[in-house]
Amino acid sequence: MSGIKASAASLPVFSTGRVYAAIKPILWLTLGLAVIEATVVLFEIRPYYLPRPSAIAANIVATPGAYISGLWRTVLETALGFVAGSVFGVAIAIVFHRWTLLRELFFPLFVVSQTIPVIAFGAVVVLWFGNTLFAKAVISFYISFLPVTVNTLLGFNSVDPRQVQLMRSFGAKDGQILRRIYLPAALPQLFVALKLASSLALVGAIVGEWFGDTTGLGVLLLQAMYNENVVGIWATIVVSACLGMGLYSLVALAERRIVFWGNEQ
Amino acid sequence: MSSTAKLEPQEPIGAYAAERPLIELRNVSKTFGSVKALSDLEVAIQPGELVTVVGPSGCGKSTLFNILAGLEEPDPGNILRLKGKSSSASDLLGKVSFMPQRDLLLPWRNVIDNAILALEVEGMSRTEARKQAREMLPEFGLAGFEAQYPNQLSGGMRQRVALMRTFLFKRDLMLLDEPFGALDALTRTMMQRWLLDVWQKHKRTVLFITHDVDEAIFLGDRVLVMTARPGKVKLEQVVDLPRPRKADIVTSSEFIALKKTLLEAIEEESMKSFQVSGH
Ligand SMILES: Nc1ncnc2c1ncn2[C@@H]1O[C@H](COP(=O)(O)OP(=O)(O)OP(=O)(O)O)[C@@H](O)[C@H]1O
Ligand SMILES: [Mg+2]
Repeated sequence: MSGIKASAASLPVFSTGRVYAAIKPILWLTLGLAVIEATVVLFEIRPYYLPRPSAIAANIVATPGAYISGLWRTVLETALGFVAGSVFGVAIAIVFHRWTLLRELFFPLFVVSQTIPVIAFGAVVVLWFGNTLFAKAVISFYISFLPVTVNTLLGFNSVDPRQVQLMRSFGAKDGQILRRIYLPAALPQLFVALKLASSLALVGAIVGEWFGDTTGLGVLLLQAMYNENVVGIWATIVVSACLGMGLYSLVALAERRIVFWGNEQ
Repeated sequence: MSSTAKLEPQEPIGAYAAERPLIELRNVSKTFGSVKALSDLEVAIQPGELVTVVGPSGCGKSTLFNILAGLEEPDPGNILRLKGKSSSASDLLGKVSFMPQRDLLLPWRNVIDNAILALEVEGMSRTEARKQAREMLPEFGLAGFEAQYPNQLSGGMRQRVALMRTFLFKRDLMLLDEPFGALDALTRTMMQRWLLDVWQKHKRTVLFITHDVDEAIFLGDRVLVMTARPGKVKLEQVVDLPRPRKADIVTSSEFIALKKTLLEAIEEESMKSFQVSGH
C-alpha cells in the first residue's frame, strides 16, 4: 500500500496508498476519540470538566434540529462576512497598490482598526445594524479583510516588472495588466490569507451572536453556558470545529484547483 | 539608375539609401542617473532586413531595444522616426513586437494561452486567437504541447513559445533580445536555421541582439557592432552571403573573413569596457 518515492528534487517521500489516504482522517479521529473516552472513564474525570465523547455525540443526535439550524445561521453569517471581506480586501489592495498616497494615509488606520478588540466593536455594530444576520456578517467581515489586503499587496509586489513592461510593449492598458498579470500573480499569497480569513470570519460570526441573537452556534454556546449544560457546550464546540475545518478545507480545495502552478516564478 | 529628379531630398545611410528606412534613430542618448548607457546612437533599419547587434555586455543593447519598444524614453534632443514619421518612444508602445531577454512566460497559462497574450491585449477573442496560434504550433515545433504549462517545458521550448508570442503579435518591426542565449550549442544552431526559415516565410523586419558572432553573421543582412558603454554604433558590417544560407556556410572563407573583422572590433571594445569597469 505504501512505497518510497525517490526523487532527486526532494527528500525521499513515503507516499501512502489511496485507500489509506482516504480513510486516514477517520481512522485517526476514531482513535483519538477512543483514547479520550478511555481516559475520561479510567481517571473518572467529572463531566463538568470533560464529558465523554460518546455523551457529546448522543447529545447532538438527540437534538439535531437545534444544531442544524444554528449551524446554518452561522454558516450564512460567516460566508457573507468572508466573501465580503475577501472582495473588499482585494479591492483595497488594488487601490493601495495604485495610489501610494492613499496607502500611506489609510493603511496605518486599517492596522489600528484591527487592534480594537472585536468584542468591544461588536456591541456598536449590533447597535448600528440591529440584531440581524447582517450585523454578524459585518463583524465577520471586519476581522477577515485585513489579512487579505496585506497578502494581496505582498503578491502584487512579487510581480516581475519586466513582465509588466512586456505587456506595455503589446500596448496593454492598466486594466488588462491588472487582470492578466497582477491578480493571477497574487493568487498564491491571496490563498494563504483566505485560509486564515475563513477561520477568522467564523470567529467573528460566533462572537457577533453573543451580542444578541436567537439562533446560531454562538447562541447555543451561551445558552448551554447559562444552563450549565456542559455536554451542550462541548457539543457546540464540536459542531463549530467541524464547521471551521469544513470552511478551511473548502478554501484549501479551491486553492489546489486554482493555484496549480504553486509559487514558482 | 533613375534619371528623373527626385522631389524628396534623400539622406544616404550607408548602402541602404535607396529605400526609406522602416525605423531611424539619430542622436539617441540615454542616461540612467550617472550611468550613460547610450550616446548619440544612429541606426536605420530597412523594411525586410534582418539586422544583428553585437557588443560588449552592458553596452546598452537592451536599453536600445527598450527605447524601440517604447518602454524607455531617450534623453531629449533625439530623433526617432517610424516609417518616416517623427515620434516619441512612447508612441511605439504596441507598434513593435518585442521579445525581451527572458522568456517571461506566465506560469498560470499553458503554451497556447501564453502565445496569445499579445493578441488578447489587442482585443481579439480568445477562440479566434487560439485558432491562429494552433495553426502556428507545428512551425514552432510545439505541436502536441499546447496544453503544457511553462514549468513542464525545456528551455528551448520555452524560448520557442516566447518567439511564437512575438510572431503572433504581427508588427512590422520585431526586436529579439538574445532569443537563443540560454540554449546549448546544438539547439541553438537548429533554432537559427529555423528562425531563418520562419523569417523568410513571414518577411518581417528583425533586429536581433546576440553575443555570438557566428550567429550574428549567419543570420544577419548587416551586423551592428556597438562600442563599450556609452554605446553607439562602432561598425556596420554588411553580410553579403547568399541566402538561403546552409549550415556549412560558417566554414566558407567569406564567412571567416567577416568573422575576423567583427571579432577584432568587438575585442577592442570589450577590452575598453573592462578597463573602464576596472577602475
Ligand atoms: N533601468 C535602469 N536603471 C539604471 N541603469 C540601467 C537601467 N537599465 C540599464 N541600465 C544600465 O545601462 C547599461 C546598459 O544596460 P543594458 O541592459 O542595455 O546592457 P546590454 O548591452 O543589454 O548588456 P547584456 O549584453 O549584458 O544584456 C548598464 O550599465 C546598466 O547597468
Ligand atoms: Mg541585454
